[in-house]
This record gives sequence, structure tokens and C-alpha cells, in this order.
Amino acid sequence: MNRRELLVGTASALVAGTAGPAFAQFKPARPIEFVVHGGPGSGNDVFARTITTIIDQEKLLPVRIQVVNKPGGGSTSAAAYVVSKKNDPHVIACFTNIWLLDPLVQEAATNKLLDMSPIARLVVEPALVVVRTDSPFKTLKEFIDAAKAKPGALKMSGGSITSRENTVRQLLMQLTGARWAFISFPSGGERIAALLGGHVDMMIVDPSEAGEQVRAGKLRVIAQVNERRLPHFLDTPTIKEAGFDIPNVPQMRGVVGAPGMSAETVAFYEDLLLKTSKTAGWQKFVEDSQLDNEFVKAADLKAFLTKFEGELREILKAAGAKVVR
Amino acid sequence: MDIASGLLHGFAVALQPSNVIWCFVGCLLGTIVGIMPGLGPAATIALLLPLTFKMDPSGGIIMLAGIYYGAKYGGSTTSILLNIPGESSSVVTCLDGYQMARKGRAGAALGIAAIASFVAGTVGVIGLTLVAPPVAAFALSFSSPEYFALMCLGLALVVLLSGASLLKGLLSLLLGLWLTSIGTDLFTAQSRFIFGQATLLGGIDFMVVAIGVFAIGEVLGSVEDGEEAKVLPVPRGFRNLLPNAEELKACRFAFLNGSITGFLVGCLPGGGATISSFIAYGIEKAVSKHPEQFGKGAPEGVAAPEGANNADTGGALVPLLTLGIPSGGSTAIMLSALVLWGVKPGPLMMQESPDVFWGLVASMYIGNVVLLILNLPLVPLFAQILRLPVYVLFPIIFGISIVGAYGASGRMFDLGLLVGFGLLGYAMSKLKYPSAPLILGFVLGDAMERALRQSLMMSQGDLLTLVERPISAIMLSLALVILLIPLFGWLNRLRVRAITENG
Repeated sequence: MNRRELLVGTASALVAGTAGPAFAQFKPARPIEFVVHGGPGSGNDVFARTITTIIDQEKLLPVRIQVVNKPGGGSTSAAAYVVSKKNDPHVIACFTNIWLLDPLVQEAATNKLLDMSPIARLVVEPALVVVRTDSPFKTLKEFIDAAKAKPGALKMSGGSITSRENTVRQLLMQLTGARWAFISFPSGGERIAALLGGHVDMMIVDPSEAGEQVRAGKLRVIAQVNERRLPHFLDTPTIKEAGFDIPNVPQMRGVVGAPGMSAETVAFYEDLLLKTSKTAGWQKFVEDSQLDNEFVKAADLKAFLTKFEGELREILKAAGAKVVR
Repeated sequence: MDIASGLLHGFAVALQPSNVIWCFVGCLLGTIVGIMPGLGPAATIALLLPLTFKMDPSGGIIMLAGIYYGAKYGGSTTSILLNIPGESSSVVTCLDGYQMARKGRAGAALGIAAIASFVAGTVGVIGLTLVAPPVAAFALSFSSPEYFALMCLGLALVVLLSGASLLKGLLSLLLGLWLTSIGTDLFTAQSRFIFGQATLLGGIDFMVVAIGVFAIGEVLGSVEDGEEAKVLPVPRGFRNLLPNAEELKACRFAFLNGSITGFLVGCLPGGGATISSFIAYGIEKAVSKHPEQFGKGAPEGVAAPEGANNADTGGALVPLLTLGIPSGGSTAIMLSALVLWGVKPGPLMMQESPDVFWGLVASMYIGNVVLLILNLPLVPLFAQILRLPVYVLFPIIFGISIVGAYGASGRMFDLGLLVGFGLLGYAMSKLKYPSAPLILGFVLGDAMERALRQSLMMSQGDLLTLVERPISAIMLSLALVILLIPLFGWLNRLRVRAITENG
């Protein structure tokens, strides 16, 4: 569990302001189920509970909205549950990249995100490329040059092969021809401990997780994985600015409805989420956890997800993962 | 701020009436959570987190930490009384705790668990107070080869846990190793042994295996043995419900062993209370003068793991508070709580937020006393549950087991697995296969495989990396020695037989 995922709980205490009732053709007749793929306390759970708390406090819905935990097999248990609620307008779910990835690499994960009803993307999470302060690498270019000189000798710590940090690594290796090792660790704590202990040379990590280490002078940021520079790290270039023209790999969170949701119902939830994302509590929360507000509406989301899925498929193939769909 | 004035300052914070109350509330909630199987401290802290936003950070972290270590006190209760582990770190406690209960020493076992928890919990906090920075540096020096060696050392304990037949012990271990490999492989994102079941992609929950094999298997066996009429003996009188001087004396070394093992393994980001409780139990049995009594109700077999899982708390807080690195689910949530209150957990926290750091440390001394006072009077009360006739007791065990297994994941599929593991536990006890090695393999196998693959990826496939580093070389040699002990015994018997036959 990484720190950013847990941070996503602030807003509930910080909500203020007012909002009018939602005017749309669909009217919920019973409580809304908001499905998440993690157990209580996991990143998505806290994220979803933040949204429901804001909706309750601002009275944005005439009915209750409750979080339903369906953990197990990455996103697969939750996805199966959502698909089993086909044509039910009262079931929505919180998705992340893993909802796209699981069906690509898992034969048994048969429920695709694009077969459901995408409603909105809410945020993307930036990341930092960090090394130890006593490391010889002052820039990303120095790291990549060293990796070219000694192929396979340098190492980075990260999560699974399907994680964003490995995706970025693959893109950089394809662009530059450099090669370095990717060592998987199950928890964020072990990944950062491996870097601090000098057992790996680099990692790509959430700003909320590495920020204190940077401030204490233990880690140095050599690049940012984002479209633009983060307010706390204005002196550090993005990967593109550092001279490596790779597509940005967004780590996203959004909301999807059960399959077969009508256009009116999708519009209703889209409006609800748009209002939620305009509240002061939401803004404060996004700022505190160093997320980027990147609201994408339903109309554009499907096209974005289709394109992104295709990109991920190619990247995973290049990374040596077995792609099944 | 030096340690003495820091600690004094901490007590000034922790002894404020409101903070004493938060400490008590946390410990009480933790005890309840610990007793309930399936309800873990991590989930409880996560659910309570929104309620603490308006609290003062010192009071908030004191309460959340109370839940965290209080749950470890409470986890032993159902292990000892009903053979149902309340938390994953109390699984080993079942081995001797339940046997003590069957001999009429349930109260003594609960008392020893509480005292061991108090002693080791306090030693863990003393460690956190005095040696946190050097221990944190030690923890960071652990790389994948060291973790691999540590897990090997743990797995070598199978020799000590096997009972009469080493072969049966090894088969049981292999089954555990296989079961833990079910699910999605971290390195390749490929599924293993899921038989087309998407529900198995996340692997099998440890608590489902432990509750099935221990609790359900035990009840099925007892029913068949015709224990309907027999009520477990519960001696009358308060004094008989607490450990006697002899039992406490036997546990002297176990208290120390549990304290040190728990603290050291706890401070490793890839360690944890479950692993430390197994290792402490193994060490205890390895050095014991009467290892044959382990698994049959040895008090040390309760004291060592219960001590270890409580000393683990102090250890786990070392990387959290000195480096800002969480070592598990509960500490990860406590870390995000600190951020939400505006405290910046990380290398600078000790200097920048002395109230929170030293207040928490001091509150843990108080919390351990609170838990001892809270738990000891409950011992006679809990021991009474064994007076229930089996036709009431067995359904209760089934009920708690089902709630525990379902509570961990909320999936009906896990109840099917629970039945399967219950039948497995029953079959194993009928065929005289020890179940402890299976559980050992399940706990350590995953971490061991991961550490080996990480080591080889780091060394670009060079196996020598495992023995070139001093700490891992020492631990691997120790593991080898433990594995060879039965061989020496076997050679010795051969020699004796040869001498007698020739003579």
C-alpha cells in the first residue's frame, strides 16, 4: 500500500460551500452503490469515501451513496461484480489503471473496463524520478548514460511489471537503448527502503511518499513524470524537458458505471462528479495529496481509454509480459 | 533534545488527562479488535481515521497506536481458548496455548500471554527509545539476500516443528509452500495455479488457511473422538486461573527471546509480527531442555511468540518514526494519519515534532501497563467459556470461524475454502501429519521466493550473492546447522546400533 493511496482521505473533514440539486432526467430511486476494488483502508477505498463524504455533506444527491468493497485479484472481483449489475443505474465504481491492465495480462480477468460505462476521469497522479543524495547522478541524462555504459548493472525498485514505474522505464529504454534492471517489491515501504539502503540506484515514486526524504536531504529528484512541473518541485524538469520525448504515462482515478447505462444516467453522474470536483473540500484534498485535477468527461473518456489501452498493450509486450487480449 | 529530556517531555504530553483517555480508548478498542478474528487493526484504524481529523495529532496517534498494539494483546485469547487465531501474528500461539487449555491451564496460558506481551511490549518501547537511529540503519542494510537467508532460517525450523516424522513434516511444508504460490506473481503479473478461478487471482488469505486447519480441523476431530460428554477441565478458584511460579520461571528465557527477536525482526520493512512470532517460537524450542513438550502445552511456547508479536510494535515504529518508512498495513495508515494532521513523518520528524514523537513513545509505556491491567482481570472471565458443554462450544467455534474467515475479505468463496481447509486439517490430524509446517511454509514461502528472485535480479543471476554478504552467510549457515541436527541424531542412532550389534 503506498502513501499516496492512503492520503486520499482528507477531504471529508474539510468540506465547505454550497451547491444546488442535480437537474437531470435520471432520478435515483434507491441508495447508490459505489464499488471499490480494495478493502477498507486501501487507496481506492479512502478515495471513494472522500467522494461520498463530500456528496453527503454538500447534499448533492437525494439518496444515500455507500462504498461497497470488493477486494480480490487486483480489480477482477470488483469488475465481475459491476458487470453482474448490468443495466442497474444505481451501481458505479471507482477505477484506476489496474482495471485496464488486469484483463490485458490475466486470462481469467474477462470483464473489460471498456465494456462498462465510463463516466469521468477525476485525477491523475504525478510521480518523481529520485536517486540518493550521495548518488553520482545529478540528472536523468547522467543516469541513462551510465546505464548505457554498463547495460543491466544499474537497478531501480518498483511494483509489478504492469506498474507505471515499469512502463516509464520501458519507454525510456526503448527511446535511448539503455538497459537497467527493475526489481519488484510488494510494498511502498520496501521499495523506498531498498533505495535508501543503497541496494538499488533509482526509483519512480509519488511526491507524497518521497517529499520528506527529499526535504531531509536523503533523496534527490532528477526528473518528474508529469505534463508540467509540480508546484513543490519547480526547479526539476519533466522527463520531456530533460530531453527524453516519451509519451506521458498517466496514473489515473475515475468513475465507471455498470454496463448498459443510458446516456441520461451517465450525464447525471458526470454532473454529480463535476459538482463534487468544484467543492473547496475537494480542491484542498487534491492539493494536500499532490494530485492533479484532470477532469475528463464521459464523451472523451471512452476514446482516451481505448487509445491508452492500446499503448499499454504495446508497452507490456515490449516489457516481456504475456499479453492475453 | 537528548533522550532523557525527550522522554520527560513525552511523559508530560502523554500524561495530559485527555491523552491518557485516548490511550485507554485505543487500548480497549485494540483488545476488542484483537479478540475478534477477521477484524484486524489495519482495517479498524482505517475506518476510525475520519473521526480523528479534528483531534490533536499527539492524542490521535496515541489512540491509533493503542489500537495497533492492543490488538496484539487480544489476539491470543481465541487462539488459546478455541484454537482460532484472532490475528495472523497469534497463529503460533495456538500450538501450545490451546494444548494448555485442554490440560486445564487456560487461565495460566492467557496470563502468560498477557505478561509476555507486557514485558516484551515494554522492551520494544525501550528499544525504540534508546536505539532507534542505529537500529534503523541496521534495517536499511538488509537487502534481498539477507531477507532470503532470514526466511531460510525460518523454514529450517520445520525440523523442529515436524514432530515424530520429518518426512511428514516436509510434505506438510511443501503443501504450504505450494498454497502460498497460488495467485498473481508479483514479478510477471501472471497467474499461478488458479484453475481458471478469477477469485484466486489475489491468492488465498492466510487467516482462512489458519482458521480452517486449526479450528475447524480440531472441532471435526473432537466430534469424531466422541468428546460430546467431556467438558474441558477448568479449575475453580482465582489462583488456579493464573500462571503459577513454576510456569513463570520456565518462561524467563522466552520473555527475553520474544522481546529481542520481535524487536529486531519488527524493525525490518519486510519483516512483521507473524514472521517474528514463528522465529521466536523456533528459537525457544531449539534451545529448550525439553523440546518434546512443545506442541503439548509448554508455557514457553505461548510466551515466546506472544512476546515477539508485541515487541514487534516497538520495532515496526523504528523505521516509521525515524525514516518515515511504513513496515506494514497498520503503520502505513498511521503514517498517512500523521500527514493528515499536518505532521511531516520522515527523517526530520524527531526534531520538528517532538510532541508527537516523544508523546507517542511515552504513551506506549503507559499503554502497556493499561493493557496488562485491562487483560489480567479478564483472564478468569474468558476461561469460563470452556465450561460450556461441547454441544454449545463447538457451534460457537464454527460461528466465530465463519465470521472470521468471511470478515477478512467479505467473499463467500472464502467460506468454501474454509470448509476445504477444515477437511484438510482433519485429514492431516487423522493421518498424523503435523499442521504447523504447512502454516510455516504458507507464511514464509511467498517472502522467500520473492527475496531469492530479487537477489538474483540484482546480481544478474549470480548465486554467490547469497553467501558473499556476511549477515546472509551467517544466517544461511545457521539454517544449515538446524537442518543437519536430525541427521546427527540419525547417525548417532546408527552408531549406537552398530556398537550394540557388534558388541
